[in-house]
Amino acid sequence: MTTPMEQLDVAFPASLPEALALMANEATRGLPLAGGTDLMVQWESGARPVPVRAIDVKNLCELHVLRGENGMVVIGAGITHAALRRSELIRTAIPALAEAAATVGGGQIQAMGTIAGSIANASPAGDLAPTLLASEARVVVASVRGERELPLASFILGYRRIDLAPDELIVRFLVPARREGERELFRKLGPRAAQAISKIMGSYRGSVRDGVVASFAVALGSVAPTAIRLPEVERAVIGQPLNEATIARAEQVAAASVKPISDIRSTAEYRQWVSGRLVRGFLEHLAGRDAT
Amino acid sequence: MAVQDRVAYRNVGQGIERLDGDEKVRGLAQYADDIPVPDAWYGEVVRSPVAHGRLIRLHFDPAFDFNRVCVVTPPDIPGQNIVDLMGRDMPFIADGEIQYRGEPLALVAAPTRALAREAAAHIKPEIENLPALLTLREVISRYLDGAKDLKELAAQTIVKGDIEQGFAAADRIIEGEYWAGHQEQLYIEPQGMVAIPEPDGGVFIQGSLQCPYYIAPELMITLDLPLEKIRVKQTAVGGAFGGKEEFPTLIAGYCALLALKCGKPVKIIYDRHQDILFTTKRHPVWTRQRTGVKNDGTITAMQVDFVLDGGAYTTLSPVVMYRGILHTTLGYRCPHVSVNGKVYRTNTFPNGAFRGFGAPQAIWGLESHMDEVAAALGMSPEAFRLKNALHLGDTTATGQVIAEPMGTPDVLENNLARSRFAALLRGNSHGIARDGKYHGVGLAFFGHGSGFTGDGESRLKSKAALDLEYLEDGRAGVNIRISSTEMGQGTMTIMPQIAADGLRIAIDQVRMPFPDTKYAPDSGPTVASRTAMVVGGTVFGAAEKLRKALETFAATALFGGEEVELDDNRFTGKLSGTTRGFQEVASAYLKQHGPLRVYNQFKLPETLRWNQKTFEGDSYPSYSWGCNIAEVEIDALTLELTVKKVTACFDIGRLINPVLAMGQVEGGLVQALGYAVMEKIDIKDGLYDASRMQTYVVPTVRDIPVFDIAFIEYPYGHAAPGAKGVGEMPMDGLAPAIANAVKAALGVRINDLPITPEKILKALSAHQPAGASA
Repeated sequence: MTTPMEQLDVAFPASLPEALALMANEATRGLPLAGGTDLMVQWESGARPVPVRAIDVKNLCELHVLRGENGMVVIGAGITHAALRRSELIRTAIPALAEAAATVGGGQIQAMGTIAGSIANASPAGDLAPTLLASEARVVVASVRGERELPLASFILGYRRIDLAPDELIVRFLVPARREGERELFRKLGPRAAQAISKIMGSYRGSVRDGVVASFAVALGSVAPTAIRLPEVERAVIGQPLNEATIARAEQVAAASVKPISDIRSTAEYRQWVSGRLVRGFLEHLAGRDAT
Repeated sequence: MAVQDRVAYRNVGQGIERLDGDEKVRGLAQYADDIPVPDAWYGEVVRSPVAHGRLIRLHFDPAFDFNRVCVVTPPDIPGQNIVDLMGRDMPFIADGEIQYRGEPLALVAAPTRALAREAAAHIKPEIENLPALLTLREVISRYLDGAKDLKELAAQTIVKGDIEQGFAAADRIIEGEYWAGHQEQLYIEPQGMVAIPEPDGGVFIQGSLQCPYYIAPELMITLDLPLEKIRVKQTAVGGAFGGKEEFPTLIAGYCALLALKCGKPVKIIYDRHQDILFTTKRHPVWTRQRTGVKNDGTITAMQVDFVLDGGAYTTLSPVVMYRGILHTTLGYRCPHVSVNGKVYRTNTFPNGAFRGFGAPQAIWGLESHMDEVAAALGMSPEAFRLKNALHLGDTTATGQVIAEPMGTPDVLENNLARSRFAALLRGNSHGIARDGKYHGVGLAFFGHGSGFTGDGESRLKSKAALDLEYLEDGRAGVNIRISSTEMGQGTMTIMPQIAADGLRIAIDQVRMPFPDTKYAPDSGPTVASRTAMVVGGTVFGAAEKLRKALETFAATALFGGEEVELDDNRFTGKLSGTTRGFQEVASAYLKQHGPLRVYNQFKLPETLRWNQKTFEGDSYPSYSWGCNIAEVEIDALTLELTVKKVTACFDIGRLINPVLAMGQVEGGLVQALGYAVMEKIDIKDGLYDASRMQTYVVPTVRDIPVFDIAFIEYPYGHAAPGAKGVGEMPMDGLAPAIANAVKAALGVRINDLPITPEKILKALSAHQPAGASA
């Protein structure tokens, strides 16, 4: 018998140290709860049991930083999709992240849901992960034992699994800002034009020098148990002239390098094919051939 | 008999504001869950975990104290354990064989919802599993193999001329098969019902429903109560689309059975998940069309197989199939027709009424197929349709003569011109993407039978009553007493418009209260796009009768015997020219005689002939007509499909309220868009896989195309004001128009709804084995 949602015991710590102290003690520890936009759906559907205790971290001011420093954007764990979407800093430094945040759910979800919640949920269809992976973001977690910083790629362990100890909270993300000459793009394919859970989505960041691909990082979501980078594709294009031959090869390599599944939202065949097509679209965008 | 056009309509034809709009916008309207019911208990249903099996017994877990709750199993049913729908094959509570996953095995009520759920969880069925038949694909493979091991729920044919002779006369025979799956109504307000036991042993049922007079008589045999002891009242309804036509009888029955046993009011409100899993859907269809044509485009023969997945029990499926087969060839002149309709059982929730009622499934096949026939002949889609469309004097497949002027082929001609279809079609990409997009335009032309099939409206004997009485504001006025329900489509606005014009009084003295079987006669169900035409016509006739009664009263009581006419809200003596206001005369009547009720009953024209066995004759009293033209764009990179614009023209008879009619058309086209390109359900473990709004995807405002909508008015000639029905029309034709547009854009045809990028990719891969290229 799971706890009914109305019997959930929620603690409201006033500061991050207070929250970490609660998390440190097994008797007071609870499930970190920010916007709750994923959790409440899972609780209601029975996909996840309602815990006995939750720690509300939504209003901790330490988790609401959003600033640029030394080519890096620091995004607090509690920053909402709405804030990401509207932030001038994000729109300039990581425009693909603003685009991705703008496609999460509807306005109400965007107002409540947070970047850390999206990553902690570790769904392969989470809309923010591909952009954060393609921009080589790092995550900082904290406990009374201190802080720990690691690449997002190692933080996401698998389907709905993250590298977070029971006493730890995600506190911020460190995302390299787009450098001079770098382009990036997020693209999501859903069953409808808005408020859609993705069939597949992806993001890239790259640059071209003298007609040659100087850098290219690409990640896709909903084609594997987690959002993934496509290293084979990246290797196939970096150092190559950005022409149709390279793009066609990258399209092929991308389709060959993913093994998606069929589920309620799409088919394995389509996801595989369109993985290549998205990579093609990204390279065409990098070449400046795409109006978007 | 012509429409009484001498009537100067003052309200009919005006886009007046919804009369129920204010209280809905302000949140004052009371939906089923808002009705205050002191001491109500909550009902829950114990459901079968298997799709097909034999119930051996129910185990009542001794760890749970069942004295705290009320449980109903088949022996507790006062009457027969039968849901009184067609076939009478569905039990209220399964007793023996289980036919679908989720079928009720017991009912539970408790003072709280949590306790009711807890009790339900402690009732464990022991079931012997049997093999289940779950999908239409499986049905059709057996059907093509001689229908072995299939349970036929209904069958009907239509025969005109001699089909072999028709094929013999043809230069070409073209064949196509078309599929469509389930569709969920997804009304905003889920199903909900409350039953209150009455001191006289009867029961008072209130809830979210379309048809009060379905529930009351259908529950008689189950509750073993006479009709007058089952009172049914409609609450405000947040959308229905057919989903609250026959299904509410089940949930009303659960509440009533529990309420009568425990002696408490019992309430059941489904949440969205239960509502999607355990209520009716649109019937999945497979249709095969074979058409014989001469090289000049003349159709000589149409042969159709039309098979529906009925789900586990008969319910209304035969009638859905009847309407379906009547629309599989509608709109085209053809001397030799043979249509074979079937409904087969599968072990899924019974499929049921949904906006269009079989016609969208039929027209999906027909209008996709007409494009294929035109293409095979090298004719353009519009030229082929213009050549074969029905005109005044032509006959349909059942031999019905198009005897009064109507919108065929006018809506087609109008829409072709407005959309510049021919020019758009020439500019289509035909497989070559420009600007990163494939472009296509597609056409569908269709009719929709108005009201019940054949002489059904005669058998219904629909009645309307008008009560002259004091209104809640103390003034004299008129209450419209009908069983037609407001479910968002505008009944509560158009009926006062119609009654006010029949009475020739100001509309603010006319009300339409919520239908209640205690006060309203049976004006038939709120279905089949019949309300404006049939009940509207009956209300108009009742209003004329009431007007004449008041004129007679005024003449003797207030005008000294001279002839009096009521018009423009006042009575005028024809000789004296003296005038008296409606309030003065009506109040005088009420003081002298008390309230006055007048009845009127709907009548079909006496010339209407229909043979329900052979399906020969006049299959509908009249027809609405429509034409949809869809312009689509397909992304060359991803094959994502966007419907950019829909040009539509409809003949729905006289427009009672043009603003509401436009709302019906726009909303219906959006629902049709969902059916065409995104709404999708598969069966997983015997249940629908898309069972939440997270997974059952419908269009949002961002998916809505540009609409260009026009109406052509050919009023129904036999009941003023002459509406023919709009509700279902916009659901009928958009899916094939989009499929035809996709064909024009890409050169491949998708014959299975919904049309998704996944299916387009598959079709392109089959078409050009190297896969799609940009």
